[in-house]
Amino acid sequence: MAVQVGDRDNPDYKILVVDDEPDLERLVRQRMRRHIRRGKYGFEFAGNGVEALQVLTEKKDIDIVLSDINMPKMDGLTLLQQIPEVNSDLRSVIVSAYGDMENIRTAMNRGAFDFVTKPIDFTDLEVTIERTLRHLDEWRAALASRDKLVAIQNELAVATKIQQSILPDKFPHVDGCEVYGCMHAARNVGGDFFDVINLAAGRIGLAVADVSDKGVPAALFMMSSRTLLKGAAVGVEDPGAVLREVNDLLNETNDAAMFVTVFYGVYDPSTRVLTFSNGGHNPPLVVHPDGSSEELELTGGLALGAIPGFEYGQASVRLSPGDLVVFFTDGVTEAINVANEEFGLESLQGLFGDGRTPTAREAAEMILQAVQDFAGEAPQFDDLTCMTLRVADE
Amino acid sequence: MNVQVDHHDKVLVARVEGRVDSSNSQDFERQLQGAIGEDVQAVVVDLGQLAYISSAGLRVVLLVAKTLGQRNVSISLCALSHPVQSVFEISGFNRIIQIYDTQADALAAAG
Repeated sequence: MAVQVGDRDNPDYKILVVDDEPDLERLVRQRMRRHIRRGKYGFEFAGNGVEALQVLTEKKDIDIVLSDINMPKMDGLTLLQQIPEVNSDLRSVIVSAYGDMENIRTAMNRGAFDFVTKPIDFTDLEVTIERTLRHLDEWRAALASRDKLVAIQNELAVATKIQQSILPDKFPHVDGCEVYGCMHAARNVGGDFFDVINLAAGRIGLAVADVSDKGVPAALFMMSSRTLLKGAAVGVEDPGAVLREVNDLLNETNDAAMFVTVFYGVYDPSTRVLTFSNGGHNPPLVVHPDGSSEELELTGGLALGAIPGFEYGQASVRLSPGDLVVFFTDGVTEAINVANEEFGLESLQGLFGDGRTPTAREAAEMILQAVQDFAGEAPQFDDLTCMTLRVADE
Repeated sequence: MNVQVDHHDKVLVARVEGRVDSSNSQDFERQLQGAIGEDVQAVVVDLGQLAYISSAGLRVVLLVAKTLGQRNVSISLCALSHPVQSVFEISGFNRIIQIYDTQADALAAAG
């Protein structure tokens, strides 16, 4: 049975919640009441996949389907397969048990955009919904532009917007460390992304990546890479195993020989150990409070998407209080100035002197600013991405 | 960026000069693919005069290697400058594409 709630007739976005747990409807109405009152979100509810398909057939303006996996009559994974038949202009978010890797993975393969884990944290859910809607808006704009066969410049601008819509804009507050990330997209391209993933036991997954090509196809490849990485990260502990899994999934459909270089690390604030696997990415820099720095070792990896079945190695490093890890893409070190000189690793290392390490945010912003100052008027063909992990002082 | 082609019997040698980045990678792909004829048995790509290659350029190398692999045509690279060698090492592509120090070594292996 589908139930209409909310007293606003024309909400900005409509969300269909599919769950066989009757209490969820009351909970969603209660926790989202401000959004419902303001007419931002409208909610529909269905008790299983069959009811959900009925609602989707009757109401063509649903923007997000938020679905549980285990339900009577038709489960969430089957529903995911059926949705494109009735509405291809929406995004699905799956609700799964924590660490239920197999189902999350299947859901992502069947086109889910994102997932949240049970028990539902409504702050998390709101962030996920917001990001999904932001992405959907950009996506619709992209389709509209393509329909109009606009100039290639415009297509690239759209790809950049898709890219911006998947980047995290909130960073976890964790005792013992801070994380920050920012990107300066090159004028008409877009291949970088980064992600910060909350993992079990207070650990944080940190990823920075660079897709080999630009434009809309590369933006789509970037989207699947980011989704698959997030799916693998919550289900698999070892960074090497995470990259192996994402690599195999990306290789299933990749005729264009696109690839993505990914550095993925898991940081445990309680032990200050960063365990990482490098999938063909330029190595991050560890900066110490005295201004000295060194690159993290390569782990014998390979860019993801190149060949299936590759085994990714991993390594770990124990950080010290005040250490700063700078994760970046080659757009930073390979930025060119008007004299055709590269910014280079040494300039990056030279930004840090003896004394207090800057905060995560200060460091990331300082680096991007320094690269932009260096490049000056010279046209840049690559994105600049910088993510930082700063270990708290003693 | 420029691609020059020589034939050594059934081995094609493609010499790449200049810089390959996202601004000219499509041109690079067209020139390289266009140079490889039907009767070629092995391809040696000489990167001795290549100053810089970005990931968009690596994608072209990977694409060509995959296409040739399906036709059972071998491909190898040779004479990489230090910066280009470093790009192949960081990306891990040196683990999936054969790289030789000199063109002579590559030709000997291909012949």
